[in-house]
Amino acid sequence: MKVVGAMTQAADNRNSSNPSPVPRSGVAPASRRPQMPLKPQDAMSNGGPAGTERPIVQAEAFSLYYGSKAGVKDITMDIYPRAVTAIIGPSGCGKSTFLRSINRMNDLIPHTHAEGLLRVDGVNVYDRHVNLVNLRQQVGMVFQKPNPFAKSIYDNIAYGPRLQGIRRRARLDEIVEECLRAAALWGEVKDNLKGSALALSGGQQQRLCIARTLATRPNILLMDEPCSALDPLATAKIEDLIGELKASYTIVIVTHNMQQAARVSDRTAFFCLGELVEYGSTAQVFTNPRCKDTEDYITGRFG
Amino acid sequence: MSLRLRLRGLWNKGFTGLSVLAVVLLGAALLIVLAPMLYRGFQAVVFVETVEFRKMEFWELDRGDEEALQAEVAAIQAAREPVYALLDRFSRGIDVERQIDQARDVYRRYGEKLRAEQTPREAYTEKRARAKALRDALTDAYETADATAAREHLQVVLSQADEPWVRDTMLREYVQMARDYGEVIATIDLGRRQEYAQALDEVKAALRKLLGPRPREEVPALAEDRYGATRWDLVQRDVEHFLYDEQWVQEQPGEPLVRKWVPRTDPAQFGGTALEPLFGMVETHLEEMLRPRWRFYWQYFIDGSTPGHFFGGVGPEVLGTLLLTLCAMLFAVPLGIVSAAYLVECGGDHRMVRIIRTCINTLAGVPSIVFGLFGLAFFVLIVGRPCVLAASLTLGLLVLPVIIRASEEAIRAVPETYKEASLALGAGRFRTFVRVILPAALPGILTGIILSVSRAAGETAPILFTGAVFYGDVPRSLFGQTPALSYGSYGIATGDRIGMEMPHQQYGMVMTLILLVLLLNLAAIAIRHRVQKRLRG
Amino acid sequence: MALDAVSKDVSMPLPSEGNAGGLARPLLLTPGQDLKGYMLGHLGRAVLLAITCVSVVAVLLMFVFIIGKARHFFIVSDVVGSLSRVREFLTSTQWYPEAEHAEFGALALIVGSFYVTTVALVLAVPVGLLAAMFLSDIAPFGVRSFFKPVIEMLAAIPSVAYGFFAVLVVAPWLQDTFGFATGVNVWNAGLLLAVMAVPTIISVAEDALSAVGRERREASYGLGATRAETLLKVVMPAARSGIVAAVLLGMMRAIGETMVVWMAAGMAGQIPTPWWDLSQSVRPITATIAQEMGETPQGSPHFYSLFALGLLLLLVTFVLNLVSEHFLSRVRGGGVR
Repeated sequence: MKVVGAMTQAADNRNSSNPSPVPRSGVAPASRRPQMPLKPQDAMSNGGPAGTERPIVQAEAFSLYYGSKAGVKDITMDIYPRAVTAIIGPSGCGKSTFLRSINRMNDLIPHTHAEGLLRVDGVNVYDRHVNLVNLRQQVGMVFQKPNPFAKSIYDNIAYGPRLQGIRRRARLDEIVEECLRAAALWGEVKDNLKGSALALSGGQQQRLCIARTLATRPNILLMDEPCSALDPLATAKIEDLIGELKASYTIVIVTHNMQQAARVSDRTAFFCLGELVEYGSTAQVFTNPRCKDTEDYITGRFG
Repeated sequence: MSLRLRLRGLWNKGFTGLSVLAVVLLGAALLIVLAPMLYRGFQAVVFVETVEFRKMEFWELDRGDEEALQAEVAAIQAAREPVYALLDRFSRGIDVERQIDQARDVYRRYGEKLRAEQTPREAYTEKRARAKALRDALTDAYETADATAAREHLQVVLSQADEPWVRDTMLREYVQMARDYGEVIATIDLGRRQEYAQALDEVKAALRKLLGPRPREEVPALAEDRYGATRWDLVQRDVEHFLYDEQWVQEQPGEPLVRKWVPRTDPAQFGGTALEPLFGMVETHLEEMLRPRWRFYWQYFIDGSTPGHFFGGVGPEVLGTLLLTLCAMLFAVPLGIVSAAYLVECGGDHRMVRIIRTCINTLAGVPSIVFGLFGLAFFVLIVGRPCVLAASLTLGLLVLPVIIRASEEAIRAVPETYKEASLALGAGRFRTFVRVILPAALPGILTGIILSVSRAAGETAPILFTGAVFYGDVPRSLFGQTPALSYGSYGIATGDRIGMEMPHQQYGMVMTLILLVLLLNLAAIAIRHRVQKRLRG
Repeated sequence: MALDAVSKDVSMPLPSEGNAGGLARPLLLTPGQDLKGYMLGHLGRAVLLAITCVSVVAVLLMFVFIIGKARHFFIVSDVVGSLSRVREFLTSTQWYPEAEHAEFGALALIVGSFYVTTVALVLAVPVGLLAAMFLSDIAPFGVRSFFKPVIEMLAAIPSVAYGFFAVLVVAPWLQDTFGFATGVNVWNAGLLLAVMAVPTIISVAEDALSAVGRERREASYGLGATRAETLLKVVMPAARSGIVAAVLLGMMRAIGETMVVWMAAGMAGQIPTPWWDLSQSVRPITATIAQEMGETPQGSPHFYSLFALGLLLLLVTFVLNLVSEHFLSRVRGGGVR
């Protein structure tokens, strides 16, 4: 098993509760500065079988069972870093199941068990010794329905960093502002950070949830139909945001909306009845699908 | 066909009506049960007090302005003086034994005085003989039942009224006594003296009930006897007994006896006697003698009481109840919340959990008296003696299932997405529970706690033999026994004297308990309402 | 409401970086590496379990101690003696524990409890079920919001207050209106117990009625049934288990009640003669224990006999509890059969 983690201590990591010291990046190196939002077509240059980087998530014959029923069966796919991977398919096809397996959220449902391998950064997340806290801090999730805590906006975002041991007020203020700006929410709430998060509109709440997830500085962002409860304006903003984020994050997004998948993602996977039917670059899947089922779905013949 | 339809419709309406009736019946039951107890209990707090109450408050409860009270007491004594004087004059005429004793006493003192003045032998004998003659005449007058004879004897005394050896010595007392007695026998029938004596005793007793013991009388041992009627409603009742004689007569043969009120001014009673004006006098000057005044006796809820709860308030009971419930909660709330947390978070469906649930349900169903028995057999055994600690532990065990159920419900009601969001951010199960779930479940848990407090405050059976007493002060330590509203309400409801004399004290205690419970329940309902509104909107 | 454009000038929050672009923090932590977390997790769960088991321990202790004390009453010299003790306890009406030749026949007490409970149920079940149906099906929302607190208040009033009311208000009224010899009797106690049991019956029955769900009701209405017919012929039978549970729980409440019967039932240790004359006093088990325990020296046969009575109560309510739990599980278990 690969051991990951450098041994350098950063200055603001004094109170970490994690036994292994963790590095913190300060300012990103120039090559990683955010660029102009990329258009979906440009995604071809990033990721893909001939991509420059190793896959960060690897599924090998992975299945997840709810009791005796299979949620997903025999999934084998690789997800590449700093790209947006979309998972589409009709209702009940296992997209959310697969997504939630990556950060072990399916554990909340009783009587689930997994078969096969699901590796994140080389480590099988269903290994007995996996530390779920570390896993989930680095694999963040945004849910379908916005679910802010019944706390202030500030405390919502500071929740994650506080878990990681960051206590200094100044640092927390920084993080909160950073994340709110990134989620395109700063201007609307900066005067009212102590206000209740529940008082925000649906779209604002979802952006808050995204900001909250970003605050733990995950490497991977899992998004389970993040826009399905939002109006088109808010949806557009979030899609823009995804485009921004993918320069630094790996994003896996489950969506009902094929146009959205086509707009934002670099690679697309099509699930059907718990199985992976087709997986490839977005352009190829949408213009030239290999499977008939895929084509039927995309052209609206079912689902 | 349509007949059948109509019948079904009627049946439907009838059914609806019945169900409405059922619910209305329950609402009526609530009103009927609460109204009399609250209304009559309220009168323990808001009522018209008299000077007797203020006296009681000063002497028994240590409250009040001494100067103002002294001034008032002086005023009422002035008002009462004529009443007592009239009464005394009449009773001197009736209570002949005492008069005779008094006459003999005068004679004896006269003799002593003569000796003290060193009167010469002959004068001494002569004077004494003359005094003796007067004394005997007076005594004869007292002893005879014949008015004419009595008047003759009295005349013997009165004829000497202006003699210097009478007028200028202590023998003039004989004259006064003769005059008084003369007045008395002018109006009463000497043959009925016995009757008068008995009736006079009743009148005196009724007056004492009304006005309290007389200024120079010996202070009675029991607090309840030391004062007159302390409230105006008691005055009304006692004045009845003063002004009227209660008699049971058989109107028809074979029928049960009927109660009749005969005014004491009736000729068959004291009508026509020298005492007759007494009753009118008392009736008209009642307010001067008692000085009634409206009072909001809110201290009822903090004052202690005299033995048996005759006077005073329910302060110790309130404190005792609060002490018991507080300690019970200290025991039950942490246990309950932790148990609920375990059942929800780490539950699952294995056998241990099912056993735990069955046990919780069993505890919820055990009768309260059995809790009392267990408390006696176990907690009292462990702690050593019946005390607040043992009673609180018993109460805590009683409400534990309530808290567990309410907390469980509240924790389950927290949306799953909260938990998901927190876990997805990398918080562990414990942190998620403490930082996210518990705060969200808090209102529901709080409701459960308040309802448990209300339940514990109202329970009597568990504390009966584990630490409650009927009368006393709140103990200083957890190892003493304590009064409580619930046990006090039981004890006071079954007291005979207090039921007859001071019913408001009975109702006051149970009203306090009911108010406490109702307030707690209203608070719980209010919290729940707010939570539901928040969840809905 | 202008939404922010995605800011391009401020530095993005960036993922924490590890070596070679991988994850910063280790995903794999063996127990050895994360000893504290591992132990805390398991220890914590064990502590929670232990605390939760206090309820189990309490019930066990309760049985142990009460049986322990009652045992001294039942178990005498030999088996025959003990059996005759039990027989006397259950069949004799002579309860004279303080007499020279003490007799411990609890039948009159048992019958006393039975009488007041039966009267209470006869009054409470119809009213409670009707009220439950009213609240679940007939009342508009506003009316229901008004009456629910009323029912809750009825449940909240302490039993000693009901007892107080029974002695000082109901007893004189019964005596005056009906000419009874005494106002504290089966009628008095039964009436008040009914008022106390009704909220329990309503709450459980209402849950059961609601659990039946809209579909069955709609099916019935769709076939042209009136509301009464739907309730009586479709909903009630479907909610059968829950209603049985409601009645059982109401019965438990009535049997276990102490203060009201102590003050209102009259405390005469006899079976009413004739048996249908409810204007006579009785002496239920709970009241007997409450009354006599205060005057009984610890360790005397009388003392243990009271624990025997307590054990009887405990067993009866325990069984009733199990049975009602069984019926309740059928309600919650999704089906309402």
